[in-house]
Amino acid sequence: MRALLTLIPLACAVAVAGTAIAQEAGKSVWQGIYTEDQAQRGAGTYAQRCGACHGAALNGTGEAPPLIGGEFVSHWDTMTVGDLFDRVRTTMPQNDPQSLTREEYADVLAFLLKNNGFPAGGQPLDKRSEVLATIGITAEKPAGL
Amino acid sequence: MKILSPLPLSVAAALLLTTAAGAQTPAKEGTLAARTSTGVANWTTYNADLKGSRYAPLDQINAGNFKDLEIAWRFKTDILGSRPEYKLESTPLAVDGVIYTTGGTRRAVVALNGATGELLWQFALHEGRRSAESPRALSGRGLSYWTDGTRRRILYVTIGYRLVSLDADTGRPDPDFGTNGVVDLKTDFDQDLGDLDTGEVGVHSAPAVSGNTIIIGAAFREGFTPKTHNNTKGYVRAFDVRTGKRLWTFHTVPKPGEFGYDTWLNKSADINGNTGVWTQVSVDEELGLAYLAVESPTSDFFGGKRPGNNLFGNSLVAVDLKTGERRWHYQLIHHEIWDLDNSSAPLLMDVTVDGKPKKVVGLPSKQGFFYVFDRATGVPVWPIKETRVAKGNVPGEWYSPTQPIPSKPPVYARNGVEEKDLIDFTPDLKAKALTLTSKYVLGPVYTPPIVSTPEKFGVINNWAQGGTNWPGGSFDPETGIAYVYACGACISSTGLLPPPAGLSDIPLVVGVAGQPVTMIKGPGEGAGADSPAPAAAPGGGGGPPRLAVDGLPLVKPPYGTISAIDVNSGTIKWQVAHGETPDFVRNHPVIKAMGGIPRTGQATYQIGTLVTKSLVIAGENQFTTTADHPRGAMLRAYDKQSGQEVGAVFMPSTQSGSPMTYMIGGRQYIIVPTSGGNASGEFIAYALPGKK
Repeated sequence: MRALLTLIPLACAVAVAGTAIAQEAGKSVWQGIYTEDQAQRGAGTYAQRCGACHGAALNGTGEAPPLIGGEFVSHWDTMTVGDLFDRVRTTMPQNDPQSLTREEYADVLAFLLKNNGFPAGGQPLDKRSEVLATIGITAEKPAGL
Repeated sequence: MKILSPLPLSVAAALLLTTAAGAQTPAKEGTLAARTSTGVANWTTYNADLKGSRYAPLDQINAGNFKDLEIAWRFKTDILGSRPEYKLESTPLAVDGVIYTTGGTRRAVVALNGATGELLWQFALHEGRRSAESPRALSGRGLSYWTDGTRRRILYVTIGYRLVSLDADTGRPDPDFGTNGVVDLKTDFDQDLGDLDTGEVGVHSAPAVSGNTIIIGAAFREGFTPKTHNNTKGYVRAFDVRTGKRLWTFHTVPKPGEFGYDTWLNKSADINGNTGVWTQVSVDEELGLAYLAVESPTSDFFGGKRPGNNLFGNSLVAVDLKTGERRWHYQLIHHEIWDLDNSSAPLLMDVTVDGKPKKVVGLPSKQGFFYVFDRATGVPVWPIKETRVAKGNVPGEWYSPTQPIPSKPPVYARNGVEEKDLIDFTPDLKAKALTLTSKYVLGPVYTPPIVSTPEKFGVINNWAQGGTNWPGGSFDPETGIAYVYACGACISSTGLLPPPAGLSDIPLVVGVAGQPVTMIKGPGEGAGADSPAPAAAPGGGGGPPRLAVDGLPLVKPPYGTISAIDVNSGTIKWQVAHGETPDFVRNHPVIKAMGGIPRTGQATYQIGTLVTKSLVIAGENQFTTTADHPRGAMLRAYDKQSGQEVGAVFMPSTQSGSPMTYMIGGRQYIIVPTSGGNASGEFIAYALPGKK
């Protein structure tokens, strides 16, 4: 929570810094940053803990927004996987945030990334926010990747 | 009935603590220091006035300088609860230099210095399980102000459905009001809610306070998969602003012997709930009438347990402000089964129709109709025709053969999804849209829901979140023109399936063929600061395809609009797409190959408009990253007469509540409630550069 409180008031600055770091490190969500196994585990956790509000197909229900598609990805464009990870970790499930392990949150994130068309790779998604903050989210696949 | 039972210990303790904190003199000194009458323009109710205008006749911020606005102060709501809030919908009030608002997952009340944003005092009730179980959590839409010239009070409803009266200078509960400043709204309700912690009712809206009368509505958990048709009834009540004593109750579901009871066949009024007023109540103080925009009965898409037209479901009802007696009503949808419940505050406008001055009430809607009535008599200003509509074939459902369709003004937002509405940027996209939608039913407004099958998953529609939702409309009292945001692409598919044993006593709830039927929950429930761990939901993968074509929205733009509706003539004066084209559309290869498309607006139900002397102002609800600005959203100003955009200013977050404006020391401010994405709730105040 402390990390979030620090991040949030500086949302803009963090966004810019996060992007800069991501660019320096050359890491992108398009580079296969999670594994298929992880996404599969995440599917199970999602169904158990997230699907009641966000829908089995991630389409959203009632007021819970979709977690799939252009609007979702645009929403996180130019942010980092760390931003998304901490948003989910510190606020979801909405009736009991931080009730999953970091590994489970990473699995769910892998599941979301897979469903939004970002490729799987050989290395699992890290569970540390500071490491995930070095991976940039871009809605469009950067040239050369 | 006086409340005899003492407050639960936790609440009493919280009251004591808060009282002790509030009693410290710095709070009062700070508030008094911030109070000023110099160069002040106030915003004293949620909608600027009880007529629902969201209008302030200020013009310091105008077309010539809007683009120069800069952030004057920001107030983060993270600390007002046990976790940050990402759905801040409250519109603050401004009274003589002081800002009052609710905020945070605790729905705390704060007083801020209007020129600096400094916290002056804070009040919150810690309601434990009662808050956790509430169907309406988070910060709510706001609060209300009352004064008799001497006493000054802030009134609001807690997450746990308690009405609280606070001293506006200190934040301390008023000992003369209810029990130690609190009225338990779950009691004295003409119905027994059982356990007060779990009894289902809450509300987001701000109390309507007129003279000595406070009017309070009610809201319930979402109606896609209700546990029972016989849940709490949404009676509307009035209370004395000084004592908290109940003054009257209007039975939105009539009791036996009351008018309208016979519109529920088989005495089904006795066994059905909801039918609350969850949006703002408007009041004509001269006519002495309160206008109630009543929502649907249980459930949202199946009404087999409530045959008949179901008054006062989906009706606009005018009641006597002093007695609560019904003066007139008009049912906008008979036997509602589309989740097109009344969402918007009634707009009480004085216009000139056919050369004659007329006091009217206008009501925007999810279904894109703008209904207009003589507000003294309830007679439609322009004919509203009972029009034959399609009859469905859902087993056990009861259908109204006709629905009222206004002849004027024209429909101002997409209210059906038909082939002509589908994406057609290219023939290929249109063909794909037709293939996709072959698995669904398309149709015009009031196409009935279906039972979901593998052949037809559901009806594609904009029922729950299309058109105009809770932010409602706004208007200019000088010209009689209403300004209304509407979503044109908030579509979903709705089908019905039998629930598994134990989930619901309703034969059909929302579900998709091939998928397990599970309880659908929303952020309004189990989302408050004291919410417990959830039970695990059964799994389920796959599902029907997304309602998108190659990643683009299934329906054509505009995805969101602001319409200027001339209520003198019943015409649409102008309409603009509101909001930058979303990144995923603007950057799509097909759109790039087309050389771009005109601004599409954005699909959201969160946009409320602000009207000033010359401008209509509204922010965006989606983040975009464009050549002109980094990731963020724009606050936009339109010329009221032409709809032409005359200025825009960058916001670091997205608008999630309706903006308001005020003046202190001759300086005009605009506050935008923002939240979304990774940005938690924050009030951002804008003003022109220069000395304070």
